[in-house]
Amino acid sequence: MATLEGAGSPVAVRARRGGGRSTLGLLSGPLVWVVLFFVIPVGFIAAYSVGAVSLFPTDSGVLSLQDWGHFLGGGSIYLGLFWKSIRISLTVSLVVVLLAYPVGYYLALCVRRRKYVLLLLIIAPFLTSFLLRVLAWKVILGEQGVLNSFLSWSHVRSPDDPITWLLYGQFAVMLVLAYVWVPFVALPIFVSLENLDRSVLEAAGDLGASRWRTFVRVTLPLSLPGVLAAFLFVFIPTIGEFVTPLLVGGPSGYMFGNAINNLFTGALDWQTGSVLALFMLTVVAGLMALFGRFLQVRSVATG
Amino acid sequence: MEVATSNSARRVLTVFFVVLVLFLYLPIAILAVLSFNDGDVTFPLQGFTTEWYSRSLSNPSLLAALRRSAIVATASSAIAVTLGTLVAFALVRRRFVGKSVASALFFSPLVVPYLVFGISLLVLLTAFDRFLADSTGYVIGLGLHAVVIGHVVVSLPYTALTIIPLLERLSISLEEAAQDLGAGPWHRFRRVTLPLLTPALFSSFLIAFTLSFDEYAIASFLAGTQATWPVFLFGQLRVPSQLPQLVAVSSVIFFASLLLVLTAEITRRMSARRYGEAFASRGLA
Repeated sequence: MATLEGAGSPVAVRARRGGGRSTLGLLSGPLVWVVLFFVIPVGFIAAYSVGAVSLFPTDSGVLSLQDWGHFLGGGSIYLGLFWKSIRISLTVSLVVVLLAYPVGYYLALCVRRRKYVLLLLIIAPFLTSFLLRVLAWKVILGEQGVLNSFLSWSHVRSPDDPITWLLYGQFAVMLVLAYVWVPFVALPIFVSLENLDRSVLEAAGDLGASRWRTFVRVTLPLSLPGVLAAFLFVFIPTIGEFVTPLLVGGPSGYMFGNAINNLFTGALDWQTGSVLALFMLTVVAGLMALFGRFLQVRSVATG
Repeated sequence: MEVATSNSARRVLTVFFVVLVLFLYLPIAILAVLSFNDGDVTFPLQGFTTEWYSRSLSNPSLLAALRRSAIVATASSAIAVTLGTLVAFALVRRRFVGKSVASALFFSPLVVPYLVFGISLLVLLTAFDRFLADSTGYVIGLGLHAVVIGHVVVSLPYTALTIIPLLERLSISLEEAAQDLGAGPWHRFRRVTLPLLTPALFSSFLIAFTLSFDEYAIASFLAGTQATWPVFLFGQLRVPSQLPQLVAVSSVIFFASLLLVLTAEITRRMSARRYGEAFASRGLA
């Protein structure tokens, strides 16, 4: 809870037990909205995935775990695709944390003035056009793209021999996803380092630890909750990613999210799509149950 | 002794920071430069032109998509700010049974992949339409209203989280003073609390607006035939001749939303600081 130092005492926010009825009155609007348009839809696809409801003539219409068994038993291509997506997302999350940690460390512990301005400089791209940022890489990495046309213009490579592996593959997907998510996770890492008690670091120094040892034994362990939060903040959305692979992934960059998207927009097998979507949600919920206490939702909106 | 870094480590980190900032902004800068290129979106540059900008202004389907996004973003952020304010009030000012469950519920859209949420809403709305068609012969269908519904759900955590810190700093003494002076609950809210909260409401509106204006995944499932700007943009990317125009408009939107986000953040920080000083000096703290 935020407190202010003023006149010797913090601002006390006196929470009132002001009548259950009026609290319910306050919350009724948001509750109705979130239950109706978030809880019920998710519950509905859960019911749909086991055939409890049917929407199309092709739907089974019988309550059964058959679709689930087929998917989990490896009877379809989707489980393999899921593991591939997990690999991509894990790699991206790791790279993003490795890139963002030095930035968070620099801003929290090395910069004294204007640190929030610099932090905003890092975060701002995240809040702006996602598609444009993906598009930029498509334009840069393509066979006739910025990079290749620059290389041939500067006679480093012949125009007939562009670098073709840059775009449409797992490399492009991972590069673009890392690019997209670095700004977002700099924040939780910064917050965890900023809240670090400096006197602990000084104590380590006074006791004779070198700076490197202080970092490895004190700073790093203390900032691990923030690192873990950052990791999850990248992993969860990237595992559900389908737009980036569509734009820069090509066939080899195809991810689990693309399969779900395709089942709903192309192949029109909504029941299988619901199974996959709910499976993804279950994995995310499992991660949240294990590590959720490290996620400070506040760090999303407040620096 | 500086405990965190030696001078050389600090220099390395400074360089790393600068390189990362370049990595973040260079691709966008390249795109912005190419939007003035008199030719394809490639190097070497062919010459300066503003043709793509003027062409996009006379492209009716492009303008229609921008207008739809503006409508969706305005409506969804207005609703999200209203609901977010209510959530913030309940979570900061009230004690009630099930508070942690309620806050988990309101913030959970932050960790649900948009893809899963988008298709869930698509399935539910489709099922509801089936039911409606069977019983009344009338359907609502997909469209901008559906996108608004979805965007409110995902913006709500952000608006609530922007308002909560300010509300926590806002001393309840002010409202109690108004009460002692005879103001009723509505009058108190209208004349005391609301004006003090305005900066937070303003910045949460801007955040929700940029989020909605830019959102593709949910909109792609729910927009139906009424493509919003990101959906339109995505659909047109396959047409090479359209690319320069799309890049031009996207660059404008990028810099406009960068400006909006900076305004939102600066407003929030300034107001938070002002409250701190005002409360300290007046002894309300």
